[in-house]
Amino acid sequence: MLGPLGAALAVFLVVTIALIALRSASDVIAGVGETAPERVPFLGGYPPDVHAWSRFHARYYVMALLFLAFDMEMVFMYPWAVVFVREGGIALAEMGMFITILLVGVLYAWRERSLRWA
Amino acid sequence: MGLRATLDRVAARAPVPVFAVAGVGAQAQVDELLLQPRLHLVDSPAAANVLLIAGSVPAHLTAELARLHDGLSRPRVNLWWSLGSSVAPPMPPAVEVHDVDPSVLVDAVVDTHRRLLFGELASSPPVLPDEEPAPWRGIGPYGQGGTGMTGGVPYGRPMAEVAPDRDGLRLDQLTVRIGPFYARFPTGLVLEVQLQGDVVQQAHVVEASEGEAAVGVDVRTAFRDALETPVPVSVLELERARSHLRSIASALVAHQLPSLARRVLRFASNVHPDQSEDVQRLHRLLRRSQVLGWATSGVGLIPSDRLEGTATGPVARASGIEQDERATDPAYVGLGFEPIVHDGGDARARMAQRLAEAGQALQLAGRAGDRHHDPEAPLESPRGRLAVGDLPAQRLLPLLPAVLEGMEWGDAVSTVVSLDLDADEVLSLRSPDRELPVP
Repeated sequence: MLGPLGAALAVFLVVTIALIALRSASDVIAGVGETAPERVPFLGGYPPDVHAWSRFHARYYVMALLFLAFDMEMVFMYPWAVVFVREGGIALAEMGMFITILLVGVLYAWRERSLRWA
Repeated sequence: MGLRATLDRVAARAPVPVFAVAGVGAQAQVDELLLQPRLHLVDSPAAANVLLIAGSVPAHLTAELARLHDGLSRPRVNLWWSLGSSVAPPMPPAVEVHDVDPSVLVDAVVDTHRRLLFGELASSPPVLPDEEPAPWRGIGPYGQGGTGMTGGVPYGRPMAEVAPDRDGLRLDQLTVRIGPFYARFPTGLVLEVQLQGDVVQQAHVVEASEGEAAVGVDVRTAFRDALETPVPVSVLELERARSHLRSIASALVAHQLPSLARRVLRFASNVHPDQSEDVQRLHRLLRRSQVLGWATSGVGLIPSDRLEGTATGPVARASGIEQDERATDPAYVGLGFEPIVHDGGDARARMAQRLAEAGQALQLAGRAGDRHHDPEAPLESPRGRLAVGDLPAQRLLPLLPAVLEGMEWGDAVSTVVSLDLDADEVLSLRSPDRELPVP
């Protein structure tokens, strides 16, 4: 019968078809957006004057970078755990220094207000 | 049975999705529809099938009402709840309800929705013609190319202008007009905001659309009556407590806390002078809500120097200004009235201020006996000093642009809600030059 790859492909296919079918059924049944004024986003009564495609500041960008930094740090901690068993206190101190340096970086970013959202 | 029919039967059993427009003098009744379990009040017309127009909507809002109507999902219907008004809405309603009793309205809405789903009532056709503002066409032979990010004017709308943001980047600035039927704003309030992402760079209040005539608002409330005839102080104070509690309920709805809002609304609809302790309990309950605390503290901060002399009632007193017309009103002498003052100046302080004042109003109502407010004496409405031709909204609206600048959109909405603008006053404030006078 199907190998693991075949099973994965079958699941992928079924999910894709189901999604497309649901989406089309919803569009057919709901009947939304048939005329131009029906497709306009709701602003309270006024039509939009400017097109909504716009470039704006992705403010989660700094948060995403910080997340990545700490995420990678966690990756370093796996091999460190092995070394820690052998070396003991020294390894703990070294990891402590590493985390402290990273934390100082976060505090600096905080002071410089780069974590401010609005 | 077809899929469509099965879905219709299921949908007919669910609460009816309603987009409600509060016309002149109908705000309180529309707010109280939150207590009706068979209605589901939605914030976007696309989520609704029933457009409920309560009271009368001024004729100059016809175009906006038509756009709102066309934004409703099909099948759709518009229903008019007249509430004593004889002026029918600019769009002829399919169903009219003239009874003021909300349960009669709910029955009518549920029945109309059921008939709509089962095809007994035709879906109301689009009001506006099916036309794009302009065809999307660039300069190339296939409609591609041109200036701007993608070229051309997509669907007849130019691309956003570029403006510097606070990080020194030059990014697109969207100019949008929000209102006059934005669900969280009082009907008639139109804000023109310039947004970068969800940050408000600039905001101003748009007044009349095209030099419209002023709207005559002739809605009888206890406070408007008090401008002309002697009204018992107990009646005024009960009305004040009701108004403050309703305002808190609206704020809770805006913060997505509808269950708490229902609790406050239920309380507001049966206020009684003996209930000032219940208000204290409500105050403790709301103070304990962490979600509400995070969402309101530090939001919409108005420093006291900007409110000095504005006589904007609870808004001014929440910023530490001890100003209350009742202090000089002879009807309150000997009642032990002392203005309550908070010093936060933010949305949280304004909510606390209104709760404290609601409790105080109930105590005053209990002690007032048969004292009457003299129409000649100064009058403190729930939103500040009220006199003929001198409305609190007139003094509150000019505060908005400076307060909203630099806020995220969600906080901007909380701020507008926390000012508790009166919809009737906002509708009546229309001047031909489209801008409000700055005091």
